[in-house]
Amino acid sequence: MVDAQTITDNERWAGVYKLLDRNSLIHPEFEPQEEIKEFIQSCKILVIGAGGLGCEILKNLALSGFCDIHVIDMDTIDVSNLNRQFLFRRADVGKPKAVTAAAFINKRVQGVTVTPHYCKIQDKDEDFYSEFALVICGLDSIEARRWMNATLVGMRDEDNPDSLKPLIDGGTEGFKGQARVILPGITSCYECSMDMLSKPTGFPLCTIANTPRLPEHCIEWAHILEWPNVHGERKMDTDDPKDIQWLYETALARARQYNIQGVTYSLTQGVVKNIIPAIAATNAIIAASCCNEALKIATTCAKNLNNYMMYSGNDSVYTYTFEHQRKDDCPVCSTSATKLDFKGDKTLEELMDYLKEKPDVQLKKPSFAVGGKPLYMQAPKQLEEAMRPNLQKPLSELFSSGDELTITDSTLPFSLQIIVTFI
Amino acid sequence: MDAKTQKYDRQLRLWGSGGQQALESAHILLINASAVGCEILKNLVLPGIGQFTIIDQGTVTQSDIGSNFFLDADSLGKSRAERAAELLGELNEDVSGHWVAKDILSALTENPSFLAQFSMVVASDISRQVAEKVSSLCWTNQHAIPFVWVKTVGLLGTARLILPEHAIVETHPDNVADIRIDNPFPELSNYAKSFDFNTQDTLEFGHIPYVAILLKYMEEWKQEHDGKIPGTYAEKNQLKANIRSGMRSGDDENFDEAINSVLRSCQPTAVPSAIKTIFSDPKCETLNPESSDFWILARAVRDFVNDHGKSGGLLPLSGTIPDMKAQTDSYVTLQSIYKTKAKQDVQEVSKLVDAVLESLGRAPGSIASEKIETFCKYSAFLKVIRYRSLEDEYTQPKTKQIASWLSEEDSLFAQYVLLRASDSFFDDHGRYPGEGNDWEEDVDHLHANVATLLQSWGIDTDVISKDQTHEIQEVIKLITHQYIPMDNTFIFDGARSVSAVFAV
Ligand SMILES: [Zn+2]
Repeated sequence: MVDAQTITDNERWAGVYKLLDRNSLIHPEFEPQEEIKEFIQSCKILVIGAGGLGCEILKNLALSGFCDIHVIDMDTIDVSNLNRQFLFRRADVGKPKAVTAAAFINKRVQGVTVTPHYCKIQDKDEDFYSEFALVICGLDSIEARRWMNATLVGMRDEDNPDSLKPLIDGGTEGFKGQARVILPGITSCYECSMDMLSKPTGFPLCTIANTPRLPEHCIEWAHILEWPNVHGERKMDTDDPKDIQWLYETALARARQYNIQGVTYSLTQGVVKNIIPAIAATNAIIAASCCNEALKIATTCAKNLNNYMMYSGNDSVYTYTFEHQRKDDCPVCSTSATKLDFKGDKTLEELMDYLKEKPDVQLKKPSFAVGGKPLYMQAPKQLEEAMRPNLQKPLSELFSSGDELTITDSTLPFSLQIIVTFI
Repeated sequence: MDAKTQKYDRQLRLWGSGGQQALESAHILLINASAVGCEILKNLVLPGIGQFTIIDQGTVTQSDIGSNFFLDADSLGKSRAERAAELLGELNEDVSGHWVAKDILSALTENPSFLAQFSMVVASDISRQVAEKVSSLCWTNQHAIPFVWVKTVGLLGTARLILPEHAIVETHPDNVADIRIDNPFPELSNYAKSFDFNTQDTLEFGHIPYVAILLKYMEEWKQEHDGKIPGTYAEKNQLKANIRSGMRSGDDENFDEAINSVLRSCQPTAVPSAIKTIFSDPKCETLNPESSDFWILARAVRDFVNDHGKSGGLLPLSGTIPDMKAQTDSYVTLQSIYKTKAKQDVQEVSKLVDAVLESLGRAPGSIASEKIETFCKYSAFLKVIRYRSLEDEYTQPKTKQIASWLSEEDSLFAQYVLLRASDSFFDDHGRYPGEGNDWEEDVDHLHANVATLLQSWGIDTDVISKDQTHEIQEVIKLITHQYIPMDNTFIFDGARSVSAVFAV
């Protein structure tokens, strides 16, 4: 006997079931089974981020037959989200993204439960993450991605197949984006591909201070140098229009003094908040690809992406799909230490600045130790002050060529091992 | 900042207020409120098109609700067009949505000029017969209406863009800098001469802008080489070595910048061949009162280039320079030298534009000066795409090209063939393959359709073995007339996560 609910289900999921009920032409090993349909309805899926990508991902998962979806996001809704984050309305501005998005999906798509977590990813522990069958990231922060990646890679136990949590990562910037599948310990991980990121943009301090030429230089002057001069200890709130207005006016005055054109409110905001352009269409494309992979991994109806798809829509439509290779000395998914050649007469501070800027390292506030002995610590305050003189010492006074440095950073859930050879 | 600018901030950083205005004046017709159709419309409603209309005669089923986010449980049994228009309309209060609960063919029978009110038509889930009808009406409309035809089957999706011509000024190239080291204008040469390369002031020396360094060494080179710039690789390396010999500390950043720019600066400044092609286009050669602003501007720029006395045979200067190591004053001066020259060029072009307008019986000044300025700035990157009509695709297949696409390993063109075959299947059976329960039998029929199609192209029938969501932002690029849209058929294969574009 087939009950009424089953009939409704079959009608409702007719599209997805066409893929799941048939011997696939695209993946001959695929065997249709009722258990697969039951699995996608019962398995738990975690979505990180309820922004541009997150809204799309939640919608796509709900319409693909996934019924138990969780979402984490620590942000609240801003007016500038409304041009693409379609689960939010003007009246929602200021509310938590995760909660609002979950409520919308739950109302719109019957039988689907989205559970919101209005918090940081770092607030959750391994027990939490181990409940999920797979994780999809729709983030705009490198830091959060590194953390999530390192956590899932660290959770993998080769003797326990359930510990393997596939990570599907999407990212967009304007008309460009990428989607990738990370199988922790098997494929290349997020950390393996850090060198594909472009160098973080920044302007030399001496240019900002002495020889400004671009409107951006004037804005950074107001931002980095003039703000603390005028406001002392008070921290800038880049979400407060009053603070942006102050920066804009200050930058404009400096630009006038130097005859530089082009300082606008919008540019000021763009520079200080490091705004990345974003549109609905690119998010839709990347999210579609991520969810497509989620469906393939969960059901095995077709082979999953191995392992990276780049997309560009600036000039025509272009995608490039390739297998990104693991990095032998990846600090997260391999056990061997990274090697670095550096001049022994350079100071520890110079090494620190180099590592902060190096695209595949990108440290914020690193602490250094060698053979268990600290060289420089960011905290506590007394220790930092006591060790600060080390920053000015040449490396050759602090350790020997070929020594292994241990570098930790509050933004990273792992430590970096770097063997430094003096040249 | 006003409310609208705040809301659209993240996209205005891409296409600016000009692109936004174009979007806001667009009225898009969606034929069929399918899942993919509504997704496309969602991505257009969010950034703020002016209006949309959905035409669909169907009523909402369970399976619509299961796959389409813009139809909910309350919609069951109601008009698909009405419910989708309502739920999509909620996304943006600045967009007005309309709906027509009719079949497109009957709407066209009742009112043959039904399509003329729209700036673009997007369709999914339509038969080839309907596509041909809509396509030809759009193509021959007084102002051609771009038509996007989308198909999705399983994990396979395809989109075809159909319009006679699309001309783009703001192609958003990575770099519009036009420095002209090989061929400096007098003001620029004088600027370079104003620097003292023998100065004892280290700060001053380290801040001579690289443009001045390059110009100095290039000028010296030219004097020793009959006025010619370095041509061979060895010559370019020699110029680099000459510059390097002028360095004092070994890490003068400005000299490094100069050395790094040698290769680019030794490319003689000239009109790119793609732009020459545009200049010799019949539409540029022979203007008429119906000519679009693009062609009038192209003609004026062509006339400017041909007037060697004014242009030196070159395109108008872009007026943009990159950042470089320099003191504020010398950078700002250099910037204004380029800007002033660019302005002069724009003025010359403006005169020619007015002359052309007058000859066509249009009022001088009727093309806004900002538009002329933008055109001049991007004149080296203009792009004109001419698409093939659907009729040509069907009646004059590019058989040689098709054979070559099919011979490529893992070619996605096989998917194109399958989609075409599934249209033939529809003609034969009144439904698409795989819609019923006898899908295995359908595969055999479909295979026969593939064979027939391949035979009609004179291609061996065993090149294709077998097989199957995506929507794209092509529509935005067409409306804003910025960035470069595809030509003309895009295929995405979700099974393999690969895609390709074919000009069929
Ligand atoms: Zn790794």
